Amino acid sequence: MEALFDQILMAALMGVIGAVVFSAIGLISGSDETTTLAPLTLLVVLLGVPAAGVFTFFLAGAVAKHMTHAVPTALLGIPGDTMATPLMREANFLRNLGVPHIALRKMISGAVIAALVAVPLAVLFAVLLAPFGDGIKQAAPWVFLAAATTIAWFSAGRWASVLALLPFVLVIIALQTFTGQHGVKLSVSYFLGIAIGPLIAALFAMLAPAERARMKRSEPRTFSLSPDVKSWGGWFPNPLKVLDRRQSGWTLATATVSSATFVFSPVAMTVILGEVVGARIKHAYHRLTSVISVRNGVTESTYIAEALIPLIAFGLPLSPVAAGPAAPLFNAPPRFTVDSATGQVNNLHNLLSAGEFLAFGMLAVVIAILIAYPFSMNFAHRAASFVSRRISHEAVIATFVGLILVIGLWEGGLLGLLVILTIGLLGGFLQRFIGFNIGVQFMGYYTAVLSVPAIIALFA
Amino acid sequence: MADDNLYEVWGDTVDSRHLIASIAIGAACSLGIFFLAEHLLTGWVESAQMARAYAMLLGILGSLLGGGVSACLFKPKRHVVEHVADPAWRQQVIEELRSEYGGIGQLSELPPEVRAELRELGLEQLFDEAEPASHTRTVTAPAALKGGTA
Repeated sequence: MEALFDQILMAALMGVIGAVVFSAIGLISGSDETTTLAPLTLLVVLLGVPAAGVFTFFLAGAVAKHMTHAVPTALLGIPGDTMATPLMREANFLRNLGVPHIALRKMISGAVIAALVAVPLAVLFAVLLAPFGDGIKQAAPWVFLAAATTIAWFSAGRWASVLALLPFVLVIIALQTFTGQHGVKLSVSYFLGIAIGPLIAALFAMLAPAERARMKRSEPRTFSLSPDVKSWGGWFPNPLKVLDRRQSGWTLATATVSSATFVFSPVAMTVILGEVVGARIKHAYHRLTSVISVRNGVTESTYIAEALIPLIAFGLPLSPVAAGPAAPLFNAPPRFTVDSATGQVNNLHNLLSAGEFLAFGMLAVVIAILIAYPFSMNFAHRAASFVSRRISHEAVIATFVGLILVIGLWEGGLLGLLVILTIGLLGGFLQRFIGFNIGVQFMGYYTAVLSVPAIIALFA
Repeated sequence: MADDNLYEVWGDTVDSRHLIASIAIGAACSLGIFFLAEHLLTGWVESAQMARAYAMLLGILGSLLGGGVSACLFKPKRHVVEHVADPAWRQQVIEELRSEYGGIGQLSELPPEVRAELRELGLEQLFDEAEPASHTRTVTAPAALKGGTA
């Protein structure tokens, strides 16, 4: 009994830490989910936090971030992160109408409703899929090969991305063989290299005269910060009153649909479901506010479902979110592993039951809502003003450079650093020039570790 | 702040000299603390692996410290203005909504709660006046009106 109480207490504590940390990160525009969620979750795993705590940290963090990312999106007109980009159009219309606070409130209220329904639905879908788990595990190398190809084709690069998988996978295998000869086995360095690739590519481009000339700017960027209007008493406005009945209905319906479709790109789902709802509403104002509520709801529900369903049903990272930001929940050697040859997994999948996933998942969502919702409702303007006036981009870059150095050296000494640099530069440029995005790169990594040994065994 | 060193890196503007200094500060803080912690903790913590894990955690806190120091030293290269939407902009939004966002629609079709929301925001009249053009339900009407105000 006491052990259970301790477990719940630990999970709640980690959930609070995740929610607070990622509420703050969500305010920084352009702080991508993968670059922030993956390394910090990894850290929590490696520090030996119990399974339930790892899970609540990740989930509360993801849910909180997708609420506070509404602050820069609505008030500054710049996307809070990758998932906020499909919300920009509606957010800008509402901002120019002079009602950015409406955009903000609709977005976070949609997020609250969607997050609450997504956890039980994701667990339900996972339980339904679980009987197929053993078959999928045995076929894992081939499933990953197929998934990598599919995700590559759906990326901006289309066939270029599919073909680029070959050299990219080859480079990873070559690097693994090389570091292996020196007795260094790396994995985190690959994740971090992929996640931070765009920054590494940008810093290299700065050193090349021709590229530097292209990046030159004559004056600072101008951000117009919208005023904030508070029109309710107390701290916790009821999300069901912020949305009207039809908006709540649409948000619930789209959250349900997006909880089931866990293999697709979360950004694509956000765009498509927003269009579906928008096409059914005649009045422009009502369309703007409904689409923005629905879309932000979908950013929550797809993220939750894409992490939870593969984790509970298979233990294999078979979705863009599971392969990217949620990767450390599946694979964080030496603690969590996915065995390449047998498809045997040893990660949260084995450590928590479906019931525990449901209970701790709801705990994480409730904690994130209790922290991020009143915070973004009440302090949006002050927070956006502080971040845009006080936190320089140089400081953000300095923090990430420090992160790269420490993690690289920690995992593999100088070789770890070189691997981050190589993968980051290659991946960053591939993304920049042919649209070979981070999700595809993560799948490329899994292809190298899981599929390639099986392919070689086939020909041996 | 001289403007001739400004570059757009990773989605925002930076001053190249400040960027180099920040990277140096970030590297010094994170690596300094990491190596120091590793040196001190090995032998003090039982397992060498845990000592390294704690050193990494401290190193990450060090990188946050480096970011904090850089934030104090270098101001953001952003021009932040408090923005209040003026009526002319609102009219322009209406035009954009009409031409790019699938029409304006009619207030009478809205549920009462949404109408009340519009009234509270002071936007009811704006959308009410925007209506007539969509009454005609022809494709040419909005285009002509847009051409007229442009």
